[in-house]
Amino acid sequence: MPLLEVENLKVSYGDFQAVNGVSLTLDEGQTISIIGANGAGKSTLLNAISGIHGQKTGTVRFAGKDITRHRADRIARAGMTMVPEGRRLFGSLSVEENLLIGASAGRAGQWTTGAIYELFPILGELRHAVANSLSGGQQQMVAIGRALMTNPRVLLCDELSLGLAPTIINDIYRCFGAIRSTGVSIVVIEQNVTQAVAAAGYAYCLLEGQVSLEGPTDMLAMDDITAAYFGTEKTE
Amino acid sequence: MIWVETIVNGMLLGGLYALVGLGLGYAFGIMKIVNVTQGDFIVAAAFLGVFLVPWTPVHPLLVIVPVAAISFGVGILLQWLLINRVLGQDPIPQILLTFGLAIVLRNGMVELYGANSHSIDVGELRFMGFDFLGLRLGVLPVVILGIALALFAGLHLWMRRSRMGRIIRATADDHQVAQLSGINYRRVYGIAMGIAMALSAVAGVLLAMRGSFTPYSGADRLLIAFEVVVIGGLGSFWGMFAGGIILGVTQLVALKLDPSSGLMWGHLMFLLILFLSPNGIAGMVRR
Repeated sequence: MPLLEVENLKVSYGDFQAVNGVSLTLDEGQTISIIGANGAGKSTLLNAISGIHGQKTGTVRFAGKDITRHRADRIARAGMTMVPEGRRLFGSLSVEENLLIGASAGRAGQWTTGAIYELFPILGELRHAVANSLSGGQQQMVAIGRALMTNPRVLLCDELSLGLAPTIINDIYRCFGAIRSTGVSIVVIEQNVTQAVAAAGYAYCLLEGQVSLEGPTDMLAMDDITAAYFGTEKTE
Repeated sequence: MIWVETIVNGMLLGGLYALVGLGLGYAFGIMKIVNVTQGDFIVAAAFLGVFLVPWTPVHPLLVIVPVAAISFGVGILLQWLLINRVLGQDPIPQILLTFGLAIVLRNGMVELYGANSHSIDVGELRFMGFDFLGLRLGVLPVVILGIALALFAGLHLWMRRSRMGRIIRATADDHQVAQLSGINYRRVYGIAMGIAMALSAVAGVLLAMRGSFTPYSGADRLLIAFEVVVIGGLGSFWGMFAGGIILGVTQLVALKLDPSSGLMWGHLMFLLILFLSPNGIAGMVRR
């Protein structure tokens, strides 16, 4: 049984159908990525799965339970949380306070502030700094740490690379190995195709709210991805 | 010397004004909700104080404890049962809802108690005074300032140090993202509104001990609260405290010069500060 199962999910903002019938599955311990251009519906899809966006039809099943109608806080306490797009730290709180907020989910596990400081040593040094004063890369680390502090079974990551320099993006993605080794299953959303394909074993490509291509990352040809990404005919 | 005494008395009154504003400012700072009911609730709490004083052991001043506890519960229920239903981008439904409740509350009090003036009897304490550096001060105003200061400092520390305070601050920063950490922000809002109402209630009881009130006093109280919050710069604890002091001192000095001016000079001072620094005292300091 998959850990996360999304079936025919449709999400709309008023008259605009942002996600139009997406289905995907995530197995325990697996990492999948969802790629697509700006406006393809990636973030909306993740917001709907995490419960932040309530206007949706279809089914979301997590650990065998239908959670389609559950609120985001309940879903987080059940073990699925998200690193939101743009990091969205609690700006007036310190680094450590941001991490401790993650512990509010009340889920025991191996992710403690100590474990986060081991994963991102720089955060240990900056633990008393106000979150707003950090650089983009450091803020992203705090955002990931805060999500991990809920000790999730599924971690949804929305555009971790957004607005960050390439070397910093590599640093951020390097932590995935350590996160995976603790048994966390991951869904990554990326515009950056190379990064997304490298990070995951299975990928979905979204185009105008629908899955235009899917498959194991080692079986997907770059040409096919490009065509599915932009919605163009394959160049021969 | 008489002027120094007037200014000191103004500061004593101002501390209480600051407390009147604290509840309103606290709720606004966290939820961006203007709870118009708080003015009339301040009066309702004073009536509750009048009712409970005969049963209060040790000293009538301690009546603030049960009144605060009951108001905390009322605030939670108000938020959970009513205000949480009208949360959203549009602030108008919240204002209409709390405005309507304020009218119901005020007329309910008129119906029950009539339009007469009331006061909370604290016995001897009201008339006791002491000499300090050549100044003649009342014991009650000093005690009330002490209570106001203790509540400001206590709330500040609790928000900084406690787990719940941290959760409230995070929710104020971004309630949507707080959900991703398992926080039910509607529940947190209830607790915040409970605290706001408890603070307002204590201010209402203390005002009723220093002076008198009628069921119609709510509008004046709300105006003072608004002025304290705006002068202080929205959401700043110590800015609000300074705002209260400025209002209190202005009012008493003006009354000395022009005994029939009432609250007029306080309101003019408010307009002047708004004109000079639209972001209040906190805005001035930040600049």
